Order: sequence, then C-alpha cells, then structure tokens
Amino acid sequence: MKLSLKWLNEYVDVEEFFENPQSLGDMLTRAGLELEGIESHRDNYKNIVIGKIVEKAKHPDADKLSLCKVDVGDKVVPIVCGAKNHNQGDYVVAALPGAVLPGDFKIKKSKIRGEESCGMLCSEKELGLSDESAGIITLKKATAGQSFVDHYELNDVVFDLSVTPNRADCLSHVGLAREVSCLLGRPLKLNEPQFKTSKESTKKIVTLSLEDSGNCPRYAGRVIRGVKVGASPLWLQKKLEAVDINSINNIVDITNFVMLELGQPLHAFDLKQLGGPKVVISKSKHQEAFKTLDGTELKLTGDELVIRDSQGPIALAGVIGGVNSGVTDETQDLFLESAHFTQKTVRQTARRFGIETDSSYRFSRGTDPEGVVFAMNRACELIQTLAGGDVAEDFYDEYPKPFKKQTILVNKAFIQSKLGYEVDESEFEDWMSRLGCEVSGSAKQWKVLVPTYRWDLNESVDLVEEYARLHGYENIPEYLPEVSTEPIVKDTSFELERHVESILTTQGYMQAMNYHFINYKEQVDFLKATEPLKAVGLKTTSTPVRVKNPLNEELDSMRLSLLPGLTRNLTHNVRHGNEFGRLYEIGACFSFGADKEYQQHYNLAFMCWGQKESLWEKPASRPVVYDLKSSIENMMTQLNIKNFEWRGFDAAPDFVHPGQCSGLFCEGQLIGFIGSMHPSRLKTLKIKEDVAVAELDWERLLRRQPRVSSFAPLSKFPSVERDLAFVMPQGLASVAVTKEIKKAAGALLEDVRAFDVYRGEHIGEDEKCISFKLRYQDKKGTLNDGQIKKLQQDVINSVTTQLSVRIR
Amino acid sequence: MQKKAKLILTEAKEAFEKSPTTKLLYDLKVKYLGKQGLFSELMKGLGKLSKEDRPQVGKEVNIVKNELESAYQVRLQQLDDLEMNKKLQTEHLDLTLPGPDAPRGNQHPLTQTMQEIVGILSKIGFTVRTGPLIETDWYNFEALNIPKDHPARDMQDTFYIDDTHVLRTHTSPVQIHTMQDEKPPIRILSPGSVFRCDADVTHSPNFYQIEGLLIDKDVSMAHLKGTISFFVKQYFGTKIKTRFRPSFFPFTEPSAEVDCSCPQCNGKGCRICSHTGWIEIGGSGLVHPNVIKSAGLDSDEFTGYAFGFGVERMAMIKYGVDDIRLFNENDVRFLGQFN
Repeated sequence: MKLSLKWLNEYVDVEEFFENPQSLGDMLTRAGLELEGIESHRDNYKNIVIGKIVEKAKHPDADKLSLCKVDVGDKVVPIVCGAKNHNQGDYVVAALPGAVLPGDFKIKKSKIRGEESCGMLCSEKELGLSDESAGIITLKKATAGQSFVDHYELNDVVFDLSVTPNRADCLSHVGLAREVSCLLGRPLKLNEPQFKTSKESTKKIVTLSLEDSGNCPRYAGRVIRGVKVGASPLWLQKKLEAVDINSINNIVDITNFVMLELGQPLHAFDLKQLGGPKVVISKSKHQEAFKTLDGTELKLTGDELVIRDSQGPIALAGVIGGVNSGVTDETQDLFLESAHFTQKTVRQTARRFGIETDSSYRFSRGTDPEGVVFAMNRACELIQTLAGGDVAEDFYDEYPKPFKKQTILVNKAFIQSKLGYEVDESEFEDWMSRLGCEVSGSAKQWKVLVPTYRWDLNESVDLVEEYARLHGYENIPEYLPEVSTEPIVKDTSFELERHVESILTTQGYMQAMNYHFINYKEQVDFLKATEPLKAVGLKTTSTPVRVKNPLNEELDSMRLSLLPGLTRNLTHNVRHGNEFGRLYEIGACFSFGADKEYQQHYNLAFMCWGQKESLWEKPASRPVVYDLKSSIENMMTQLNIKNFEWRGFDAAPDFVHPGQCSGLFCEGQLIGFIGSMHPSRLKTLKIKEDVAVAELDWERLLRRQPRVSSFAPLSKFPSVERDLAFVMPQGLASVAVTKEIKKAAGALLEDVRAFDVYRGEHIGEDEKCISFKLRYQDKKGTLNDGQIKKLQQDVINSVTTQLSVRIR
Repeated sequence: MQKKAKLILTEAKEAFEKSPTTKLLYDLKVKYLGKQGLFSELMKGLGKLSKEDRPQVGKEVNIVKNELESAYQVRLQQLDDLEMNKKLQTEHLDLTLPGPDAPRGNQHPLTQTMQEIVGILSKIGFTVRTGPLIETDWYNFEALNIPKDHPARDMQDTFYIDDTHVLRTHTSPVQIHTMQDEKPPIRILSPGSVFRCDADVTHSPNFYQIEGLLIDKDVSMAHLKGTISFFVKQYFGTKIKTRFRPSFFPFTEPSAEVDCSCPQCNGKGCRICSHTGWIEIGGSGLVHPNVIKSAGLDSDEFTGYAFGFGVERMAMIKYGVDDIRLFNENDVRFLGQFN
C-alpha cells in the first residue's frame, strides 16, 4: 500500500514527519504495518535550488558558453552555462555541488575553459521532469534560494507499507489516518460530503433488484446527470500519480480517488448504456459470455456474482466492469455504484479468471459495510465539483440485514495471562477507545463494542493483540518457560539420520539435498521403468505423483527415486571440473500405492565418482563401486546390523551396469542395490569418470534402531591364520566360496576374507584364482597343529566337492 | 697358558677392530668367546694344571677374557652407532610432500543449521517431531485457522497435487498431528521441507523450515519472547538483540514477526540487512484458540506458543551465502566449505 504523506496530512496532523519521515515509518512498523520503503523527492533533489541570474556575460574563451552570476539565496555563485534561452533577471533551477541528477550525474565544482563554475543550470529533461526540453528552465516569478522541490511542490513523501491480510481497513488513506490518529492521539479530520441534489429520482430512472444478498449484503446506487467528462485537475492527477495510479478522466479518477481515500471501491456506469435502465445483482448464467473493459472475453460459469442490465452482465461484481457500460468521453449521465460484496465471492471470481484489480484486492480482503453510502456521497461531491452534474435526490440503498457491531467480552486477568505482565486498566480502556471501540464494564469484565471497519476483531485474543501492539511489543518481558519433566518421545528417524551422517561424513561423504520434485520426462528417461527398483527392494510404485500447478515444467513431478536428482548433481559437478565426489542423500520419495493413496517413503542413496589421485604415490585404480561397497558395509556394522550380505541378481535397473550390480540383503530381505553406472549413460552424459551408485530403503534400516552394541568376551588364547587359494570359473561369485568355507570350518573359524584375485598365466582363460585368509580361534584353548590341519582339509574337501572349484 | 690367552686377546681385539658390521662382529664373538670358542678351548687346559696353580692361572685367564668381553662391547657400541647414523641418513623423508588425502565429508549446511537449532532448543526440553510432505487441505490450512477463500491463503502460494492434497506450505501441520497424538505438556520442534510456488535469489520453491510448538497451561507472550531471545543469543551470539513486531499469521494471536540485530554488522547497517541494522528471521505468536480446538484440545485449559524460522535464511545470515540456489546444486566446492 502506497501512502502519500501530503494526502495523509489532510486527515490527521503529520506535519512534523515531512522532516523525518523515517520516524513515522518506524512507528507504523512497531504497530504492525511494516515499512518497506520511503520515496522522497526531497532526497532525490538535494542541493537543487531556485536561483536568479544577476549577471550574464560571454565566456571569455568559448563562443557557445555564457558566464552567469547566480543568486542562490545565501550567496552569489558563478555558473558556466551552454544554453541560449536565459537572460539576466530570469529565475532558473540551479544544481549546486553535491546534487545528484537522474542518471547518477553528480554535480561538482569545476573549471570550464579556465572559468570557475559552481553548479549547473538545469533543463526539465536533466531534472527528469520530461523526456525532451529545449533549453534550461526559466521562470518569471520565484524566490531565489527556495528549494526546487518546494517550488515545484514535489515535497511529498510516499511510504510503501506492507499491510497484512487482516488489516484491510488500512488499505486507504483515511484508514491509515485512523491508525495514525490512534497512535499519536490526534483527532481525525473527515468532513461529511456536501453537494446539491436535483429533483430527479434515482429510483424512478433505474429499476434495481438485489437477488443475491448473501454475496452482496449491501448495494447502493445514485444517478448523476449532465456531467462533463474531461481531464482531472492537476491536484487530483498529482495525488493519484503519487501512489502510482494513472489518470484517465475526471470520473474514473474520482472513483479511484475515493477508493484510495476511503477504501471503498466504486464503479460508475454510463446510464445511457444500461439496458432498461435496469440493474440486477445476481449469479451469472452457465456459459454466459462477458467482455471486460480491457477487452478480455470470458466464459462465465454460473458461480460468479455479476451486475446485469436487461441484456446481460455489465460487471463482474467487485472485480472489473464490462466494455460496453463504462464511462467514455461521450458519457453524460452516470449510475454510480457503491456496494459491499463478500470477500469470498470476489476472491473466487478474481482467482478463477486471474484478474486482480485494486477493487478485487480490497473486496477480497474485506471492506466496511457501513462505509458504503458515505463513499458514494463523497464521490457525488467530487463529481459535482469537478465535472458538474445534477445528483439525484434519492438513491438506492439495498441493505436487508444491517451489520451489527461485534461485542467482545474480555477481562484483565485473561489479558495478563496471555501477555505475562501487569495490565493498566485505564490504559487498556484508553487504547480501546482510541481504536474506535466503545468500552463498558470493568476490568472484571469489559464489554468492547468494535467498529465495523475492524472486522478482523472477533474474539478476546484479538483484543489482547491490539492492546499488546499499542502498548508496545518491546514492553513485553522475557521469561523462559519452566522445563517440564514429562518423558520425551524421540523421533528415531531424525536421530538415526544424524548418526548415519556422522558415519558417512567421517568416510568422506558429503550430504546432498535436492528438490523433492523433478522434471517428469527427465525422471522417466532416467528410470525407464520402476519395476527394477521394486525388484531391488525399494518401495516405489510405477505411478509418480504429479504437481497440478508446477512452477515450471522442470519441477512438475515428485521424485520416485533419489538418483535422478543425484545424477543432476553429478553432471553439474563434472561440468564444473569436480572430477571426484562422494555424495549421499537421505530423503522422501513419492508414488501412488496400490490403494491409490499417496505414498511417501524415505530412501538413502549414494553417488560416487572418480578416484583421488595422489600426487606422488601410485594412483588408486580400483573400481569406485568397491569403495562405496565398503562404506555401506562399514555403515551397516556401525548400525549394529550383523546379518547382511550381498547377492548378485539379474534384474538390474536400466541405468546400472548389468555386470556390476549387487543386491543388499539385510536379515534375509532385499533392501536395495549397489552398482556402477551404465557405460552408455556415462557416454550420453559425457562423463569419463567411473561412477558408482546405490539406493537403499532407509525405513528398513530404521528397524529396531537404535541397536545397542553387545559385549563379547575377549579370547585369552592365540588365533591362527592360514591361507587357501582356489581356482574357479570367472562367473562364480566369491561369496559362494566364503559361504562354503564358513559352513565347513564351523564355529572355530573366526574370520575369512578374500585378499588376492589372480587372472592370467598358469590358469585357464575363463578362470580366476582367489586367495582367502582364514583365521581360526578357539575361545577355550590353544589350537594345535593337528586340529588346524584337519580343519583346513575339511574346508578344501567341502569347497572342492560342493563347487566347481579346485585348490591351487 | 696366560701367554696363550694374551695372544688370543691381541688377535681377537684386532679382529674386532677390523670387523665392519655387527653381524661379522657377532661371528667373531662366537669364534673367540662362544661355548665352542677359543677361550673355552683354552679353559679346558685348566684341568691339567696343579691344584696350587689352578686358581691363580684361572683368575688371570678370566681377567683376560673379561677384557676381551669389554673390547667386544666397545666395538659393538661403535658399530651400532655407525649403523644407526647410516640408517638415519638413508631414511630421510621429504615431509613437505603432501600426505595421502584423508577422507573429508560433511553434512549439508542446511542440516548443520537445523541440527544446531535442535541442539540449542533441546536444552530447554524441545524434541523433534516430523510429518508428511503431502498434506490434506485440512491439515495444511483449515485446521490452522485458514478457511477456504480466506485472504490469508494468498500469503502462501500453494502447489496442489489434487483438489484435496497439497505439498505442505509450512511445517505447521505437524502442530496438529502432534496435538492429536500427544497429551500436553507438548514441546516439539519440527524441522523439514516445505513448498511454495516462488523462485528467485532469496526464494526457493522447496525450502526448509524449523518450527517450535509449546502447549501447556498459562503460556504467555513473555515466555515466547524469552525462548526466542534465548535461542537468538545461543545461535548468533550473546551480543545479538531480538526485536518483536506485531504481524499477522492466521494460526497465532497475538502474532509477532521476529527480527534480530544484524550479526554481520552488529546492527550498524550493512548490505546484508539493507542498512537497517535488523534482519527478519521468522514468525511467532500465541497459538490461536481455533487451532487448539481443531486439534481436539480444550482451548480454555491449554494455551501455547509457536514460532518458525526459515532454515535457508538462518544459514544465509550466519554463513553469508548470497544465492539460495546454491543449496540445491550440491556442488562439492560449495558443500565442502561448511565444517
């Protein structure tokens, strides 16, 4: 809301704030009307004054320049000027050193061709007053030394205030004047409109029928005949201009002026264009056509409240007028509408067609039903003064159920309990009456009658807020609430997230956070089908959740998986030269369940690319996917999940290398997968680095967490290590051998792990040789050679007979 | 015999001196002083001597043997020192070379921010509660005193999934879920993702909020102010001041906007605070009785306060980040800056 200080000053005395507008802005901010900016010409035109040319001479060293002595009030200064249209004795506009002209043109003291010049004589163009100008401004009558803004009456200050949706009463100058008069304790000046009426009768000229008083509780209208449509006087144009409203003609300007003055939107119909002349306030008809005054053609639905004449709709109530019934230069007779439409109907209609006008903005936030007739008459007064015309003696005022002022009961103890400090009774009563409320009763129970323009005040807590803000939020004391000793419910997921994060970050992973939505097509292209995701244990269905009104199509679908987003991060990073990265993300994915319900499921995903090359050591050359695998295993171990294993599977997701993919089984259940990114994807993305991905069902990891570590006694006896190497087909998974080893060796085997893989000479081309280190341990005694020999033999026998494997 | 012993001593001493390594020295020790060594051989001759001579000769030979022993020790020490010096010289490492990169990861700055806020407020009894991101219109709006067609709906540009479901526009629906599930006193913090149809340098369509809710008996604005002041001092520093301004949120009454004095310039005025010295950090207020009622609690018996902060905003103020979009690009050069 733009507030002109000059305009405000007409209703409440704010003279002193022209010098210090910021302090008024601060006061309003403290009262809840946040100041967003101040526009002051006084600041824009600093050091620009009216001067009188007391002497004009030719510049001794330049034919086209003149050397003027200019009286600028407190002194006479020399100014060199290039214009030709000025004479001795003229008053001119002089920009003195320190002034900044539009376009950031700073004025400084200088020497022009050897002559001192203490400023510049300005043209209208140079001052930003017009686009073109011939020569500098010359005035016949003025006062030397007067500031330019005062002479040109540009001394207004315009405030930009953020008005919250509950304070629609502040969307006008009188509304804000009321607030300021309350805050400063100064009287509000508002006169009853004065005009002459003719013998004519509105009711005889126009028939009116209010058919929907539910959506239009009050409708007033008055005929004015014989107006002269023309340009508005300068004062009106300037007022509207100050608050960024374009001047159109005197009638339209007056309706806008009254809206900005009183907050009541008005509409003027051209009486001659009204079919009938008849005015009906009713719902539209389904599929009815309506053309707005800016030429947009609309198809109405039957839900909008419209004003219609005998032919059809002539206005969308409270939103916008029609093209055929508006005021034009030929208009002579008017039907002036001032009405109270409900917030709901105006808001719905405005949103349905995407039309927001100053009128719909105010109606959808609420207007004062009791202000309807006053505003209409104020417009009549102005029209008669500025455009002439005869105002009809009577007027319509359909108001079947007059509004009653709201009564709110409140007591001192209640206010104190809400605010936490002692409330002064007389201060409360004083503030309430300054707000325009009538207060009766006592502190035990006040009865507060609220004015109709404060429809946001409905219950006792609303008055608590009014008192608190007027008394000052800065006066509310500060206490910490007592800490309760009730047991605390923990959010396991949140806590485990932090735990897993600490595990992963110490292993070098960075946390990524992507939007929960993504481009539909990008996601489909990436995942191809979601069945493979289900097949690897993720709780994803094939139907993504779409956003009905996306910000743009880049973000039109909720994510089914975390990997499309992480792949975006991968390409972003590689494109920016980050050849190494380890990212993880924990986040919600969305899909439709079998029961058509929205399903939100948390996953944990990884995106790893590149190996760090040391500068002088042998570069690391192992596939990235093994790094990721050991990080996940490390995480599982630190989560105290003991029973997990990797198993190969056939149904690898489309974006994963089919030969480098494995499923993670946790306590017998598949909960996700790990793999290298498919080489064809990397080719498309133009990525040369080796890339590994994984996605796991986060909620499955949460099961029975936090799991407490359990202590196992330490053995007093030494363990024994033995190596075994087996030759096996390339396709056999090493885990099959380890499993067999464990089975054969039984409880005395403490640990077994593969430590070397060999391919090449001495064994077949499609064979590999894996060496395993077995660690035996007996908790009850020392193992002797015989026992170990037997265990080793059992292992060899079992592995070589059960699997197509031979000992090397 | 003594003569012979002396001869051995001279020979051995010379051999010890010439021995270049500890290993060869040890071999010499075995040759002269070992069980089968020359001295042992010589000692065997003692038995052939007369009883009277035996002690004297034995004593003298032993002296010689001890002398040889100490000669060995001296040479051993010499050789040890030589070898150690050589080792030290050959094992020189250029420690100005870089060591292998230790893994270095970190949480996302937004997680760190939420974590820090949770950490501070958990000291005064707040615990975390989370909720779904797709909400019904009722949980996101109506239960929070924002009826259909209320102008307050314009305050939050909403993403719709269908006619009755929205992407939650704030974390406040968690208030309702919590009040429905738990009995007062309630003291929760709800961090999480929220959605609004808005995007520029300071607005993200999918950003994070953290919201606090306290429901108890006799909760006042003074408690709210105390809590937020406590928080601001802990989060930004003890010099930072808090300011409350009247405002409007449909789910609180009275409502207050919270500003803190600019932590970048200590309230003197800078680019970050648009030269006002103050920075808006969030909204707060006493929970509106209608909200308490819609969650099924008695609004005469229970009162409470709520407050909410934008997590990106808190992070931007604290770390000086100037473009909100950086938080979602996940550029490792960006992520790696927040330790």
